[in-house]
Amino acid sequence: MSDHEIRVDGEPTEAADVVVEWEDRDHGLARLVVDGRAVPAIVEGAGSEWFVTLRGRRIPVTVRTWRERVLAEAETAARVHGGPTVVKATLPGLVVAVAVAEGEEVEEGSPLLTIEAMKMQNEVRAPRAGRVVAVEVAAGQAVATGAALLRLE
Amino acid sequence: MSLRTDTPGVTPPFRRLLVANRGEIAIRVIRACRELGISPIAVHSEVDADALHVRAADRSELIGPAAARDSYLSIDAILDAGRRSGAEAIHPGYGFLSENATFAAAVEAAGFVFVGPPASALEALGNKLAARRAADGGGVPIVPGTTVALGDDTSAVAGIGYPVMLKAAAGGGGRGMRRVDREADLSDAMAAARREAEAAFGDGTIYVERMVTPARHVEVQLLGDRHGGLAVLGERDCSIQRRHQKLVEESPSPALDEATRSALFESARRVARTVDFHNAATVEFLVDDRLDHFFLEMNTRLQVEHGVTELVTGLDLVGWQIRVAAGEALPPAVLEAPRHGHAIEVRIYAEDPYDGFRPTAGRIGAWQMPEGPGVRIDAGVAADMELRTEYDPLLVKLMVHADNRPAAVARLRRVLDETRIGGLQTDAGFLRWLLEDPAFVAGDYDTGFIATRWRNGPPLGGEERQLAATLAAAAREAEAVPTRRPAPAATSAWAREARRDALRR
Repeated sequence: MSDHEIRVDGEPTEAADVVVEWEDRDHGLARLVVDGRAVPAIVEGAGSEWFVTLRGRRIPVTVRTWRERVLAEAETAARVHGGPTVVKATLPGLVVAVAVAEGEEVEEGSPLLTIEAMKMQNEVRAPRAGRVVAVEVAAGQAVATGAALLRLE
Repeated sequence: MSLRTDTPGVTPPFRRLLVANRGEIAIRVIRACRELGISPIAVHSEVDADALHVRAADRSELIGPAAARDSYLSIDAILDAGRRSGAEAIHPGYGFLSENATFAAAVEAAGFVFVGPPASALEALGNKLAARRAADGGGVPIVPGTTVALGDDTSAVAGIGYPVMLKAAAGGGGRGMRRVDREADLSDAMAAARREAEAAFGDGTIYVERMVTPARHVEVQLLGDRHGGLAVLGERDCSIQRRHQKLVEESPSPALDEATRSALFESARRVARTVDFHNAATVEFLVDDRLDHFFLEMNTRLQVEHGVTELVTGLDLVGWQIRVAAGEALPPAVLEAPRHGHAIEVRIYAEDPYDGFRPTAGRIGAWQMPEGPGVRIDAGVAADMELRTEYDPLLVKLMVHADNRPAAVARLRRVLDETRIGGLQTDAGFLRWLLEDPAFVAGDYDTGFIATRWRNGPPLGGEERQLAATLAAAAREAEAVPTRRPAPAATSAWAREARRDALRR
């Protein structure tokens, strides 16, 4: 296990000396025994990307080998040095408004478009500063999770 | 075939009943039908053909495409489904068309029995401004503010005193509501509230109320028959809210003394008397820190949180809705139903409480529901189901009942620890935290609780991080081992524990 780098919600974390007992591997049901008390948990994911749910809180965890770590760092470096960023839908819904046009410069955090899901309006904001090079959707269009909404450069 | 489908000893009030709703509340109504010997008919949109409520009913009628306005909100489609299925009565559930006076009238005009208050009561109390005037006229205290629509002349607002709350006359579900702290923000807030009200209800009329703060949201359950019988079935405290929508409800309210409780019950009776009322309704009040109460609105339908009252009274509210709709009179056992113990409900939504209760979406993975004494589960989904973003993100209501409040809180803690929902973030993290919060445990909370005490939740603790790291690392390790074979991971974990045990000795 020591050859894995573990990050919990982005922060490097060491595994503890705690017993893990599986209840239902297919659904990721497990329990951790801490000081003689069982803590029920869920673990979901595959490869390096995992989610652990403890007491109702779903915590993102990455468990990476040395090789995966090097690759991920190279990818981050490429992004920082100005490659295009694709803004994707994080939930399925209906695009109700697009606030920007192609060619427009945006600040990090400025509103890009609004997606309605579960009867709520959710604003999608710019993950970084840049120029809008392509708007892939229009108001009234339904989008699935992961759909490309627009591209920033 | 001689399978018996009637219920021995029960004369069904109707032969068939159409449930004009979906999800957990449709299943709740279907269960009441079963116990009364009525054949339940479901309705479904194109994307709901495999939904749980469809499977629970005897048959289901397709009423249109996914968009609610073309299916669950379509009066014509529902009435057609009623005719096709040979239903005698229609139960609207909550939300959708449940408080729509036009629908109630159309149902009756088409020859069905509407399981709910008369259309005239829906009409009179559906508009919140009209309801305020009615309550005021009936001698019930209302929140200080305007009883007419707020126009361009805003001089009335200054007289009420800031902060104020702008509300939509046609409002519901917390939409079209805006808190305004100072005069400079008023015109912008009015424009925003009007826009939101117009978009949500097709009516931009707004009015203004003084902001009662701190306040508890306490509501009174009413059940009436067609013969003048009116039962007041206790109160529910619904002060734990986000976006003016409830997350936790309990009965009795830990905030009330007996005098306030009686005053609240009397006010609720008076509001009901302002209209021709029968069936189920709830009168909502704000109770301030001096235990003065103010009428908020009357919901002329079954509430999401009706189960809390069912647990403390032992009554089947939905069953009684159907029976009084058929003309039955409420017996003394209902009219003077005693209340026992304490009940609490928590609503599990597909929402991220660590990110402003933003809706989450996706596919439900693990689905482990609690069991055991004093537990009730009303769920609308199950394991491995894709959530529909077109509809309400309520997944399940967990309810507990115990002798007293501390026992109910302890039971709910146990129940939440037994509950495991995978695949997406839910508000369960907030709810589990809530049950350890000293103010909630003491019953000392108000409608500002989430904004002031929870905000976006505590940061991840060191122990939580370590446990998450440990489990994820173990999962990655176990991944190399196929799951379907005779549980090697489980064996190894148990074996490791056994080895440890041996070493300790």
